Amino acid sequence: MAELFRRRRGGGVPGPEALLASWLAEEPDEERAWDSLAPGPGVAEVAARLAATPGEFLDPRAGVVPLVGDVLDGDPAALAVAARIRDSGCPAARAGAAVAAWLWASEEVLGPLSVPLRRDYAGRVLAAVGFRLASAVDPATWLSDAERGEEAARVVLLWGGQLPAGEDGPAARSLFDRYDSVRRAADLGAALAEHRHRMEIARRLADARAREAAARHAPE
Amino acid sequence: MPPSEPAPTGDAGPPGDAVTGGPDDGLGLDEYVPGGAVVLDDAERWPALSAVGRQRLDRVRAHPDAPQWTHAAGDRLTAAGHARAAVPLPTAGWLPGHLATARALPAYRGHPGPLDHLQDFPTIGREDLVRDVSLFVPLDVDLDLMVHGTSSGSTGHALVIPDHLEEVVRGFHLLVSLVEAQGVRWRPDPDRLAVAHVVAQRQAFTYASALPAFGDTVMARLNLAGWPGRAAFLAAHDPQVYTGHPTSLEELLAPDLAPRLHPLAIVSSAMALTAPLRAALHAAYGCPLLDLYGLHETRPIAVSADGGPHVVLDRRLVVEVLGPTGAPVPAGERGEIVVTAGENPLLPLVRYRTGDTGRLVEVGGRPAIADLEGRDPVRFLAADGRLVPSVDLTQQLQAYGARGWTVDQDAAGAVRAVVAGGAADAIGRALVTLLGRPVQVRQVERLADLGPGKPRRYRSEVVTPRPAAGTSG
Repeated sequence: MAELFRRRRGGGVPGPEALLASWLAEEPDEERAWDSLAPGPGVAEVAARLAATPGEFLDPRAGVVPLVGDVLDGDPAALAVAARIRDSGCPAARAGAAVAAWLWASEEVLGPLSVPLRRDYAGRVLAAVGFRLASAVDPATWLSDAERGEEAARVVLLWGGQLPAGEDGPAARSLFDRYDSVRRAADLGAALAEHRHRMEIARRLADARAREAAARHAPE
Repeated sequence: MPPSEPAPTGDAGPPGDAVTGGPDDGLGLDEYVPGGAVVLDDAERWPALSAVGRQRLDRVRAHPDAPQWTHAAGDRLTAAGHARAAVPLPTAGWLPGHLATARALPAYRGHPGPLDHLQDFPTIGREDLVRDVSLFVPLDVDLDLMVHGTSSGSTGHALVIPDHLEEVVRGFHLLVSLVEAQGVRWRPDPDRLAVAHVVAQRQAFTYASALPAFGDTVMARLNLAGWPGRAAFLAAHDPQVYTGHPTSLEELLAPDLAPRLHPLAIVSSAMALTAPLRAALHAAYGCPLLDLYGLHETRPIAVSADGGPHVVLDRRLVVEVLGPTGAPVPAGERGEIVVTAGENPLLPLVRYRTGDTGRLVEVGGRPAIADLEGRDPVRFLAADGRLVPSVDLTQQLQAYGARGWTVDQDAAGAVRAVVAGGAADAIGRALVTLLGRPVQVRQVERLADLGPGKPRRYRSEVVTPRPAAGTSG
């Protein structure tokens, strides 16, 4: 894992916390993501596709921006995220995004999944795997380790706006949390918890029930 | 927006011109359309409301001279919540636990250096809360008791503040204890409003609210501006205590009101209360007048019952006075008031710069703040090059009876003053003597005639304010 963060071209490579910070800078709203899922393919199905990622996608010489642009027909949001991943200079982030790009490409190469993957949240998926997941897990293990593969599949499905086939919301969420390496990593987990806290406070303060406020007895 | 002073319009327009928002009102705001911000039902607003309390509330709401209620707001507390709110938070040994809570806040994660003692903490300011207030909310606190509060401030963006429902009601009990400390017996009276929280502005949230914790009596937030039935309503309900800020409390001097009202006490807050206005209210009502100092984010800090120094309240508070470098000033010297406040569990502040200035003194063995001045301490350039602090002008203006004022110095050095009340000629001579240059003085009748903003305002384009004391870490 450490070599994925090694220095390259004499410049600094962002460490795990910096990668997670890049994810949090995308202002991900996890509660909203869970509330708006459409039916998706099964986790095992997606994980199997991940494990079949061909070498040309994993080749670090392949630019992530042209790769994403090619696979996703120049989707501007996805390209913007790919550019941020490129600019991070982090091999792990690049590898993560490339593996995600393979998933969409695989539907043309190997045929569609039982439920085709959504493409409208592609940018979000790239950020989730390139920044969030890659901050805690070596992308190579997504392809070789069953549990990490399942974790990666769940990250792709959640942030792609799809519920794993055969699972309801609460079950999917429970399993997501169980496999979530970021939450288990102490420093990363703390940053993630703070982000969730921030989003929760913003949400509650904006809620109309909170905005009716309490009776005030004197001005302040 | 919830019922605090509105950020977008402030104290907009003279009281006589108040119009609630609506399609025909070019300055109307949608939130002030009656019911525009109402979401809950009465059962949710007052979980502990009794049948008797319900009847009393309905009677007030339906009174023929009642204002057009624009809002509804309750305490949202169960009986258990009321029981907790009725008890002041213990103060013995509170600070170490407060600092431990603060240490764990996201705002201080990654802070270089120790945060073992109060002085280890950097000072923070309004800009830190505006940027991201959630960084100052503990991760493990019960957010179910959080509601939306706002502070408009004198300039800049409104600040959203996480208010704690039990703390808000504890604030009511604080009012009761402060009034009773003046020798007033303030007990629930079913025939009177317990509190009339008055404003006087173009648009405002107005509502009647039950007080299950105070004998099932009723309070009301009332806009004295543009309300034809105000005298009849207030005479009928004869509020026991009036709360407000100086601009709205000045309305209580109006001839249609003063002879008919019999408050046990008046509490002024949010803005500085001038000596002449204090004297006028005392002459009219002869009751204790409390000047309560505090910010929404800090909660009440100190109180003056006699126009003298504001005595720091016996609550979870530490008050420091710091100089421009952030170091404490020598005893008794003027500096910025910095507060560590532990009354609101949702916002445990440590070394919060208020932007106000004053001197720390002792009154009756307790710390007190003397010569309290509002935000943006301004200095004026005298003709001979001296820098004259605004507090010097305050003393003259008050001495000659001005209840409020604005004093402006333009880039060329010319000084213009608008004063509400007072002896305009004497004021003019005093300011000329202070500044050694001509001063144009115009007099208006009421504080509200000064226009939007606080009733003691200074601005100098010749001299920029000193930066606030200390820096945030």
